[in-house]
Amino acid sequence: MILLGKIVLGIAGVGLAGAGVLCSEGLIQVRVIEKEPRGHHINVIAPAVLAPIAVHLAPRHDLARAARDVQPYLPAIRATLDNLRDTDDVVFVQVNELDEHVQVSKSGGSLVVDVDNAGETVHVSAPICAMSSTVEQLAAATSNPL
Amino acid sequence: MSETKRRRMQMATVLCLLSTGMTALVAPLMAAPAEKYLHVNVEDPTRGESVNVNVTLSMAEKILPAINNHDLHDGKVSIHNAEMNGVDLRALLDAVRTAPDNEFVTVKDKDSDVRVAKANGNFIVHVIDKKNKEQRVDVTIPFKVVDALFATAKNDELDIAAALRALGNAGDVLLVTVQDSSQKVRVWVDSRNTQD
Repeated sequence: MILLGKIVLGIAGVGLAGAGVLCSEGLIQVRVIEKEPRGHHINVIAPAVLAPIAVHLAPRHDLARAARDVQPYLPAIRATLDNLRDTDDVVFVQVNELDEHVQVSKSGGSLVVDVDNAGETVHVSAPICAMSSTVEQLAAATSNPL
Repeated sequence: MSETKRRRMQMATVLCLLSTGMTALVAPLMAAPAEKYLHVNVEDPTRGESVNVNVTLSMAEKILPAINNHDLHDGKVSIHNAEMNGVDLRALLDAVRTAPDNEFVTVKDKDSDVRVAKANGNFIVHVIDKKNKEQRVDVTIPFKVVDALFATAKNDELDIAAALRALGNAGDVLLVTVQDSSQKVRVWVDSRNTQD
């Protein structure tokens, strides 16, 4: 009985530690709500630590093309992400039109994009450190063509 | 407790209180200066549209050199035909900088009012375009910023990154307002991260 308790405790400990590692870089959230009557409601929440791994597992030719596309902008993206980490929470851009609202902000270590228009509501939140890791994966793919 | 020990304890207590008080007084002075934000606000009430942009000056200053595109490189922008048909822009600004506060240009005609002046260390331009639905443009730029624009750049360049750095040290300032019958544009710098 005591042995069983120890095993359960061990499994629970490993599970908790694993969950802690997975969530250590925060969570990526993508929420899309289509406003049409039978529109889709999509809500994906994934550990940000998986993003660089996902890039690593992406099809090579797609990754190479993405890497080529992003390559000219890498210095600016790196500088932006590096500085975003040190910036206080702030709304960077807010656009209000009659039928559309867009907001780009930094909130609690994440870059948040909200779009609300007649057709859909979109919310994307991604931790900045995970974005940096992902961009570095792309940069590595640029320097080592696949 | 002996008299000597008691006095030492009292001295130590007084010293602790003094050091705490000094730390409390000096800490705000040693704190990092407040982050400065560049704000852009465009309002178009007739169409119910608005655009707000808030960027820290330090962030803009660091990102700008990373963007190399067309005439923008290393935080500097190339200006073509810098002498502007015989007018040496640097010499002109140098003359304005060293001159006392004054109105340099005042033009009033049926189509427009133009005023170019120097006041309180600022370079000021007011334009009213009467033909174009009473469009008004007001520009106020601290001379420190103008100096930074030209200080480290070549003759045909403007050092935008240096100007942003200077802007951060120039205090709160309303840089540009443009207003016409439908739209209002404002560009300013302050220490708040919102436009409220």
